[in-house]
Amino acid sequence: MSWLKQLFSRRRLYGDLSEEIQGHLDERVEELVGNGMARKEAESAARRQFGNVTLTKEEGRDVWRWSFLENLLSDIRYGLRVLFANPSFSIVAILTIALGIGANTAIFSVVYAALIRPLPYSQPERLITLTELRPQQAGAADVSKQTWDSSYPDYLDWTRQCKSFQALAGFSGDGFVLFGAGEPEPVAGVQTTINFFSTLGVKPFLGRDFVVGEDIAQGPKVAILSYGSWIRRFGEDPHILGRTIQLDDKSVTIIGVLPRAFEFAPRGNAEIWVPLHIQNDLVTRRSLRWMPVIARLADGTAQRQAQAELNSITANLAAAYPQENGAIQVAMVPLRERIVGQVQPVLLVLFGAVGFVLLIACANVMNLFLVRTAGRRREFHIRSALGAGRGRLISQLLAESLMLASAGGVVGLILAEWGTSLLIAAIPDTLLAFTPFLRDAHTNLPVLAFLGIAVIFTGIAFGLAPALQISRGQESETLKEQTRASAGGVRTRLRGVLVVAEIAFSMVLLVGSALMVKSLAAVLNRDPGFDARNLLTFSVNLPPAAYPKDPDAIRFDKEFTERLSALPGVAGVASNSVVPLTGNGASIRFIIEGQPVVKGHENECNIRDISNNYFSVMKIPLRSGRVFDDSADSTTAPQHVIVNEAWAKQYLNGQDPIGKRVKFTYSPKENFREIVGVVSNTADAGLDSPEEPSLFLPFIQDTNSFINYVVRTGNNPASAMGEVRASLHAIDPQLVLIQPFTMDQVIAQSPSVFLRRYPSYLIGSFAALALILAMIGLYGLVSYSVSQRTRELGIRIALGAQRKDIMRLVLGEGARLTTLGVVFGLLAALGLTQLMRSLLFGVNALDPVSFISVAVVLALVAVVACYIPARRAMHTDPAAALRYE
Amino acid sequence: MGNDEQRDLFPGALEMMILRTLKRQPLHGYALAQHIKRTSNDLLQIEEGSLYPALQRLLKEELVKAEWATSSTNRRVRIYKVTAAGTKHLEREVSRFERMLEGITRVLARGES
Repeated sequence: MSWLKQLFSRRRLYGDLSEEIQGHLDERVEELVGNGMARKEAESAARRQFGNVTLTKEEGRDVWRWSFLENLLSDIRYGLRVLFANPSFSIVAILTIALGIGANTAIFSVVYAALIRPLPYSQPERLITLTELRPQQAGAADVSKQTWDSSYPDYLDWTRQCKSFQALAGFSGDGFVLFGAGEPEPVAGVQTTINFFSTLGVKPFLGRDFVVGEDIAQGPKVAILSYGSWIRRFGEDPHILGRTIQLDDKSVTIIGVLPRAFEFAPRGNAEIWVPLHIQNDLVTRRSLRWMPVIARLADGTAQRQAQAELNSITANLAAAYPQENGAIQVAMVPLRERIVGQVQPVLLVLFGAVGFVLLIACANVMNLFLVRTAGRRREFHIRSALGAGRGRLISQLLAESLMLASAGGVVGLILAEWGTSLLIAAIPDTLLAFTPFLRDAHTNLPVLAFLGIAVIFTGIAFGLAPALQISRGQESETLKEQTRASAGGVRTRLRGVLVVAEIAFSMVLLVGSALMVKSLAAVLNRDPGFDARNLLTFSVNLPPAAYPKDPDAIRFDKEFTERLSALPGVAGVASNSVVPLTGNGASIRFIIEGQPVVKGHENECNIRDISNNYFSVMKIPLRSGRVFDDSADSTTAPQHVIVNEAWAKQYLNGQDPIGKRVKFTYSPKENFREIVGVVSNTADAGLDSPEEPSLFLPFIQDTNSFINYVVRTGNNPASAMGEVRASLHAIDPQLVLIQPFTMDQVIAQSPSVFLRRYPSYLIGSFAALALILAMIGLYGLVSYSVSQRTRELGIRIALGAQRKDIMRLVLGEGARLTTLGVVFGLLAALGLTQLMRSLLFGVNALDPVSFISVAVVLALVAVVACYIPARRAMHTDPAAALRYE
Repeated sequence: MGNDEQRDLFPGALEMMILRTLKRQPLHGYALAQHIKRTSNDLLQIEEGSLYPALQRLLKEELVKAEWATSSTNRRVRIYKVTAAGTKHLEREVSRFERMLEGITRVLARGES
């Protein structure tokens, strides 16, 4: 008989079996009656001899079944009936799980995109980055991940000498004004050595890569487009290759389009890639460190070997060029680490936090499940009496819990989709540009796999305990009536443990979010050292064709500044070579007159070129001496510098800097410059950065073609932008505003603020969710125990207990659970908040105020959650309570 | 899921006895139960019911076949017969059982001396 035939003849087989068994019993009865036994007696004797009829039939049928699958199907069918019969339970459970799983999946899809997914290069794990460390950086923690630049001559020497690398390539961020594709617009770009893409292992999707000869000044001007800009700016033009566009004042031919999946996070916003065309200075000056370098390890070479080889090359270079390289070290950091380094701690902390939410959701649903299973004991007893084995009961309950979890998973997936897009939308564009992988955070196979695992984990987590309990409960069956009246028992104890755990978990999340919020507040409240209100900032790039020499830039600056200052809403206009709080900026090596230093070991500090009125417009107080001045610091006047207090403190041990002289060491032609003023410190790199020593030079003596302006406006800086743009256009229609932002926007987008605001909101929401779930759990447990103790409470009242004693009794139970939860939570938080230390600012990971205030808030909320059932208990009518029996 | 009575026998013992009994003559369930009980002198405590799942197993393996017929006492009964495969299976099982029994007997005998 084939299995298919069996399948279809089964109904008949089962019928035969039943009939046969019935016949057997009848025959036995006949026989016994024939032997003189009463019919009734004979019937029961026959059954006794036969054994359990139902079980026998069941076993007989089981022979024909694929028992596992069919049991599962019947469990599911039955489970669906049970779940539909009690929709409010099912909905609450499904929503709770959906919240937990949805939040986890959303965070996981971001974590996957950022931290797990391989970078879109060939063998990305073999790619590393090289950076040169200055003497003052050596040994400082993590600095190797912040600094990323080398000098071009050093890069050439590494390329020539180092055998550990298959290839080395360099690049430099750039920006152009693009003409020939709609309105002239500033676009971000990158200049690269011609082997950049081949080092990454990336081939253009259209056209070709750069070739030798395209990186020299006289060579052909070519460009490769990012896929996104090909779509957006060039309308997916299939004949794009060979088309000419204008970048600033240069005519450039498009030779390729990068693949859609290509991204390069360190310059994530780049739309146009051109070969490196560098000026003489940058090619030849070994002390000018400006170029980030990537390298691909040669096959079979470990990073450690490469580092050793590089160290020996570095030592040779130091010996050959003591002035430039005497104290320089080279650090290697894997490309992946450099790319994800900044977001990694944030994401891991969020992932941990959201994991807690899932645990709490599980505990809550398990609680619901325990109560419901308790209510279904009669059903389970009947099934077990009818011959259902322990395994069947457990599998029935697990089927139900897994069904709930799956339903929760489906709803959770929808929530996750929505949540992920919300998470990504919350990231400012400027930051998203440098974390391009986050755009890839969406539901894909790994995310679905994660979801599946979460569903199974959840289903088993909250289904197993009730299942084991119900099957264990079988033995104590006869005690059923006695146990009912008292509130104790294993079941309630387990629920108590769950509620304590929920409270402890939410305590951890609350402490975490309190610390984050406090850090965010500390960052936002930090005085940056200048008045950041009503400030507008943008940049202007002067193309060399129209502004070839310094005087041209100076002329432009003067005219533009005058025009802007004349605008009605503008109180002041100044410029700086670096927009404050963006973390950009150059540094310079110097010596102080009378303080001899070993060649190559000079100090290095920030250097900023500012307009003469910069400090007054920014409201940065002058501490001593004077600010730059149009007459005393004209183009032809002797060169002077201004320093900040941090500089004076670090390099002069608190002596008065005025009148001291410094000299820059990059060129032998440099002379000593006198310090004429000291200004107070500013938070230059970001609101969470230390106040760094800085030197200031007058713009007029150290002119640049890329100028950053700051404009002090009236109450609404954003509204002045239109007039500013019009003024620029009036002077030169070729020029555009680059990165126009209010200082508030700059602050909001800066990593120091954003990387705290983002997790603050998220952990805060998780903590709120956790608190709500935990309180529902506590409320549910106390209510349940009140309802179980109705008789006891009735007796107490009948015997003369005061209402307030009853209230105290019930609240006491809640208080006991809460206290335990808070204590365990505090202990756990003491350890776990250490893991988020790198995210904190201005607050200790063990901040007692946060810990205590969270504990107090939690306790107060818990009292409210217990008060409602306690009131009900207080109003127990003793007569009604006793009538229950 | 099994019942405890059957555990007194080793797995397959019941099936072997059923096949041996049916080999001698085709029987229906009740008569089969009576026969096994009688011939074992009630030494084996078998719940009558446990015969039926065993018969279903043999049916599924196609070691026996069943037909509805009318008994001598004019009942509609299902008569079980051993198939060719069943005969072969029985021979194999019996020889295996005998070897096992011999082994056990030797061990027990050695233990006595």
